[in-house]
Amino acid sequence: MAVFMQSLISGILIGGVYALIGIGLTLIFGVMRVINFGHGDILMVGMYLTYILFTFAHIDPFVSVLISFPLMFLFGGFLQKVFINRVLNAVAQNQILLTIGLGLIMSNTVMLIFTSDYKIITTSYSSSTIQVGGGVSVSWPLLVSFLITAAITAALYWFLLKTDTGQAIRATAQDRDAAQLMGINVKRMSIIAFGLGSALAGTAGALISPTYYIFPQVGSVFTLKAFVITVLGGMGSVVGATLGGVLIGITESMSAAYISSGWKDVVVFVLFLLVLLLKPSGLMGKSRT
Amino acid sequence: MTKTLLNAAAFLLVLGALLVLPRYMDSPYALHMMILLFLSISQGQSWNILGGYTGQHSVGHAAYFGVGAYTTMMLMQARGVAPWIGVWAGVAAVVVVALVIGSICFRLRGPYFVLASIAVAEIMRLSAINLTGLTNGAEGILVTDLPAFKIGGRVITDFMTKVPFYYIGLALALLTLAVTWGIERSKLGYYFQAIREDQDAAHSLGIHIALYKNIGLVISAVLTALAGSFYGIYVGFVDPPTVLGLDLSVQIMLICIIGGMGTLYGPVLGSLVLVPLSEALRSNMVTDLLVKSGLVSADSKVGIFLKENLAHAHVLLYGILVVLVILFMPEGLMGFLKGLTSRRRKEAV
Repeated sequence: MAVFMQSLISGILIGGVYALIGIGLTLIFGVMRVINFGHGDILMVGMYLTYILFTFAHIDPFVSVLISFPLMFLFGGFLQKVFINRVLNAVAQNQILLTIGLGLIMSNTVMLIFTSDYKIITTSYSSSTIQVGGGVSVSWPLLVSFLITAAITAALYWFLLKTDTGQAIRATAQDRDAAQLMGINVKRMSIIAFGLGSALAGTAGALISPTYYIFPQVGSVFTLKAFVITVLGGMGSVVGATLGGVLIGITESMSAAYISSGWKDVVVFVLFLLVLLLKPSGLMGKSRT
Repeated sequence: MTKTLLNAAAFLLVLGALLVLPRYMDSPYALHMMILLFLSISQGQSWNILGGYTGQHSVGHAAYFGVGAYTTMMLMQARGVAPWIGVWAGVAAVVVVALVIGSICFRLRGPYFVLASIAVAEIMRLSAINLTGLTNGAEGILVTDLPAFKIGGRVITDFMTKVPFYYIGLALALLTLAVTWGIERSKLGYYFQAIREDQDAAHSLGIHIALYKNIGLVISAVLTALAGSFYGIYVGFVDPPTVLGLDLSVQIMLICIIGGMGTLYGPVLGSLVLVPLSEALRSNMVTDLLVKSGLVSADSKVGIFLKENLAHAHVLLYGILVVLVILFMPEGLMGFLKGLTSRRRKEAV
């Protein structure tokens, strides 16, 4: 029972970060219908940003979110305006390839600068845990990052539901042409959506950096995870991505505990294929025509 | 008519030159480059059949390459099976794998198909890492001593030089070209292209979509597996990231994207661009050139930095190339050249 509770709790905690990654991807897909294959690499850039701030300015990884969020927003907006914007009406495979290419450029530029050595951010709390009782312990950095993700997700929901810009983004996601006819600046909404998506991925990168190895190729793992999460939740659904993130987090830690940590990713991918085959619209997705 | 004759003559001329080339070029490095070129053409052309002609953009072709390479290598290491027999076991394994993958992935379209193809390849890679008893896990399989190839007791080759590999590579590249050429001119090719252009229209014309997609996949997968086996035997080493990784899938696809998808010579052009460029970066040729031309001094910080790092960054070049190609010539080099000639023709008129 203790093992079960332990894996459930760590699953939920890491799932919060996964949700952040998934929401970013789903937001971009919803507004632009572009699947961002460079999403994990954007997260990787966020990790290195945190690493730089920590090593050279001695800013705590969790505090550095305040700096990396706006910086990653600008970075994402730049990527959208300069590259993605040009292929919005192109065939799907060209969009996919462009984002793959951008991802390769990001990871290899980082490799040129920092080499492919593993970097670690060691904080005083990196390996500290809290005993909850019943033999269950919670990793302190995971708990803090979960609380921050929860706060960011709540703020994001508020932004999307209550503010004018948020509503304009949702309108663009629902029907781009109709939104444009209603006088919404869809181009600007696309830039904001890509910026937000990147900021969320970058923030997720900052939040996991105290507990993960940082290296240039770390992104592809998270790109694949982000796909699994968004497809599971339903492409374009923010609520779905939140749920999907937590579900994948739990699936991973459960299969690591009960099968083996080597096979946990296989379990996730098999689950992914099953969802694609049985319910491709995902948990929260509307059925497509 | 004269055009076809001219084309055929040019092709035969190039082929003849390639056949006698090893007689006049004994530098192992030059032969190695040619072998890499042949391998790249085979990989690209195999992908082209499914991705270019049938329009199913698989980003998981490493699965077939890896299964081919692994089967041949595993049989050679564990059972001492000669590679030219093991290859066919690899082909058989790949047909089974392709049909399973096809029955799962072809129910999906567009981006969903792409995602499923990646997921399947990743499952294969992770399995290769975890099934240590079978595949030796992350350490990979190393087999360097190949048995001599004999026919009727006579030794044809003992694989001591690169020359036999050169001819195997050439044969493989020619095979993939010939298969594509044949498909282009057959009913099969028209079915493939009909599916690519409009799946629903093709379906309403009575083309069995699932059947022909699977045929395309099996042909493509078998050729990719042959290339994989050849790679394994030539390099003598396979491990999960190099023969089953996502990077490989992307590289295979890039050959076609850069050259031009759905064209016979696209993958050839793509390989002619990609192989020398990445090899030049990998072998520090670019840095040496910059130093020799006096742009960068060898002892300066920049010079040392380039020397140490540029070799690892040939993938960066792939990234830049693919972004440029998608933004400025989405039809690839073939489309770009075609555009140039047709413009010239228009100007002449």
